[in-house]
Amino acid sequence: MASSDADYAVWLRGIDKQFPGVIACAGADLRVRPGTIHALLGENGAGKTTMVNVLAGVYRPDVGEVWVSGRRRFFQSPADAIQAGVGMVYQEFRLVPTLTVAENIVLGAAPRLLRGSEIEQRVAELSATYGLAADPARPVWQLSMGERQRVEILKALWRNASVLVMDEPTAVLTPGEAAELGSTLQAMASEGRSVIYISHKLDQVVAFCDEATVLRRGKTVATVDNLDDVDLHELAEMMVGSSQSGALGRPPPGETGHEVLRLQGIHAVGDRGLPALTDIDLTVRSGEIVGIVGVSGNGQKELAEVISGLRPPAEGQVAVKGQDVTEASPSDRYRLGLAYVPEDRLGMGLAPKMSVVDNSVVRSYRSQRRGVFLSMSRCLEFCRGLVERFGVRVGRLNDPIAGLSGGNLQRLLLGRELAGQPSVLVAAQPSRGLDVQGVAAIQGHLVDQRAGGVGVLLISEDLDELLALSDRLLVMFEGRIVGEYGPDVTPRTILGAAMSGNPPT
Amino acid sequence: MRRPALVRRDRVVPATQALGFFVGIVVALLLGAVLLIVSDHSPAEVYERMFDSAFRGTDSLSRTLGRATPLALAGLSVAVAGSMGLWNIGAEGQMMAGAIVATGVAMMADGLSGPLLIALMMVAGVAGGMVLMVGPALARSHLGVSEIITTLMLVYVAIRVVEWLETGPWKDPESFGFAVIEPVPEQAALPGLFGRANIGMLIALGLLIVFSVAVSRTAWGYELRLAGSSPDTARYAGVSLRRKILAALLLSGGIAGLAGAVQLTGSATRLESGLSNGYGFAGIIVAALALMRPSGVAVVAFVFGAVQVGGQSIQTLGVSSAISDILQAMILFGALVAVVFFSYRVRWSAPSVGLPAGVREEPDPSAEAA
Repeated sequence: MASSDADYAVWLRGIDKQFPGVIACAGADLRVRPGTIHALLGENGAGKTTMVNVLAGVYRPDVGEVWVSGRRRFFQSPADAIQAGVGMVYQEFRLVPTLTVAENIVLGAAPRLLRGSEIEQRVAELSATYGLAADPARPVWQLSMGERQRVEILKALWRNASVLVMDEPTAVLTPGEAAELGSTLQAMASEGRSVIYISHKLDQVVAFCDEATVLRRGKTVATVDNLDDVDLHELAEMMVGSSQSGALGRPPPGETGHEVLRLQGIHAVGDRGLPALTDIDLTVRSGEIVGIVGVSGNGQKELAEVISGLRPPAEGQVAVKGQDVTEASPSDRYRLGLAYVPEDRLGMGLAPKMSVVDNSVVRSYRSQRRGVFLSMSRCLEFCRGLVERFGVRVGRLNDPIAGLSGGNLQRLLLGRELAGQPSVLVAAQPSRGLDVQGVAAIQGHLVDQRAGGVGVLLISEDLDELLALSDRLLVMFEGRIVGEYGPDVTPRTILGAAMSGNPPT
Repeated sequence: MRRPALVRRDRVVPATQALGFFVGIVVALLLGAVLLIVSDHSPAEVYERMFDSAFRGTDSLSRTLGRATPLALAGLSVAVAGSMGLWNIGAEGQMMAGAIVATGVAMMADGLSGPLLIALMMVAGVAGGMVLMVGPALARSHLGVSEIITTLMLVYVAIRVVEWLETGPWKDPESFGFAVIEPVPEQAALPGLFGRANIGMLIALGLLIVFSVAVSRTAWGYELRLAGSSPDTARYAGVSLRRKILAALLLSGGIAGLAGAVQLTGSATRLESGLSNGYGFAGIIVAALALMRPSGVAVVAFVFGAVQVGGQSIQTLGVSSAISDILQAMILFGALVAVVFFSYRVRWSAPSVGLPAGVREEPDPSAEAA
């Protein structure tokens, strides 16, 4: 790989980026040759979005270099990146619904002294060149998601982008539209433009992309120069890691007891109004860890929300220790013994602007009351107890919690959930984005809880973690549970099921 | 190239806050001195008069407190909504609505004894303010309609209703043809305390203390703060966001309505379209300067009242009302800028891409627990 810098359309070199509480990138590299479609792969939280935001001038790296078209760049803003030829198409489109297609495309980059009709004509020519059908005169709010995406791509082409970044482009498309997108991108690549393509859908990646970079925990773990040389499973193994280097050996099998959580015939609808969960049956017994395996976006988030009471199911029943809680609020479920560590720690699990004390009593403030007053001394005592028991490193307890590191936030959150001595713990991505010590501490607590007779439902995208900790593994695919495996299943088998939805027999 | 950026401070120390506020006002006074010199006045003389008329002697102090009372109530009204992240821009209208209902009660029950009538009028004021807020509150909690727009629009509705009452149904028959409403009964005037101060001041102070404690020390206030700062966390904790939004907005409207009733029985003689006198809008500034904290509202309202009293008094020295208005605005502006600096700090950003690839800063050993 001793080629000169000028050979790359994009070279992100040794990127480090930290956010409060999270290490997003730690020395990640990305090299994209001109005229190729480059897949950027990794689990959620692996650092993909951070990398492309660095390229787009949204974030500045703490450490590292950005090279575009053979020159080192110092982007101060997204405008600088656009100037340098970087076009971004975000998952959530950034279009003005009331403006027309043409107006959106030229917004901020309109040629001076041109009449609207002439601009519309030029936009029509551009869309004809790339086969991106879009009526320039129509207002954007009337368009389908697929058409809006075409407008976003045209917007980048209008600015003559040499690099187009697409974040999860097919999530909003029908299968037909996705295939069309593939041929559009290939046409752009054949003109010498480069495309960076972020997706979880590996079959599409293999179908359209030429090369790939795989990120894991903020580092580049693999680069594939020719995607024809690898198959789906190899790629999936690179993403989740199959090194078996989990922080812990598998805990010895314990005695599983009575049923603590049962879901029966659960159907639920996702945020976009489409079915997210279909006919889910599952049980968790006391003293076991049940792992949920699946490619992100196959219903894991909705499953956790239905269990914790944040998303009402369309059909079906949720029971905790035999008691039907389908209608119960999240706090009532907690009182009945259901603890929940949400995926969104800061924002759902914890309130970033409130103090450590305030955050530690989110679950228990109702019992820290003295008349109408909240007993400050009792809250403080409770908080001190958590901090000590779970080894949370904090400054002042009355300072906002946002100043804590990711590992300490998660220790406090997990500690708070465990303080109510739950019978069931639902933990979603509990170790994502943490450093090695944080991961070990959180995994250690999960194992301890299991030994103490708690039933744990562990939702994770880290296959190592799931294989190391789980007594049983359930595979989710497109909102269904498609397979159940014991702890000795091979990574390859599990991956096969998670990719295709068809468990090999 | 280094560029400045504002970064929110993790912790705002009260001492820093007070200092920032003071520095902001001093800087504004220095800039104001330039203005005064240019317009041919002696800054020393003008500032001395301002200070004396606002603080020196019972009469001056009572005048300042009298101004501060409606400012504090209006500021509290805005701050109660603000502690949940909501903006009540229409306290001005809710004051009017409170005064209208209080006047109605006084007309129907003018045979009652003073204390009873006053108590009834206060309750009526709260009710009036709440009634004007019912629409915006429900629209916000159930439909997500911005309360900023709806509360503001109702201000003008409330003022027009008063104008209609003045010329129509409530027109005083003994007013020799002038379009005015009959004065409130004499026994409804709020009892005085000293100088020009009346018990309205104590009502305001009491409410400030009650809300200050309620927001920071009760389970209800905890839920309010949780819902305001992180709605998802509140949902997770089992708090009903709709109920919290309704409660915060209705209370906000009720407090503003009470301010209207206090104004009616305290310093006005009758309901008129100028009764709220901009206090409701000024309350937004008061609450913003107090960072939406009820405890801060008291201090800011007092300073604001003093600036208004002082600003008016210097007109007797021949300072034009325009210059006086500019001076008052500068002082408030100075304080507002100070708020920015004690809530944020300026960070000069490093050159765009800090370090070349491969060079790592030493990790901070205290960042992560062992």
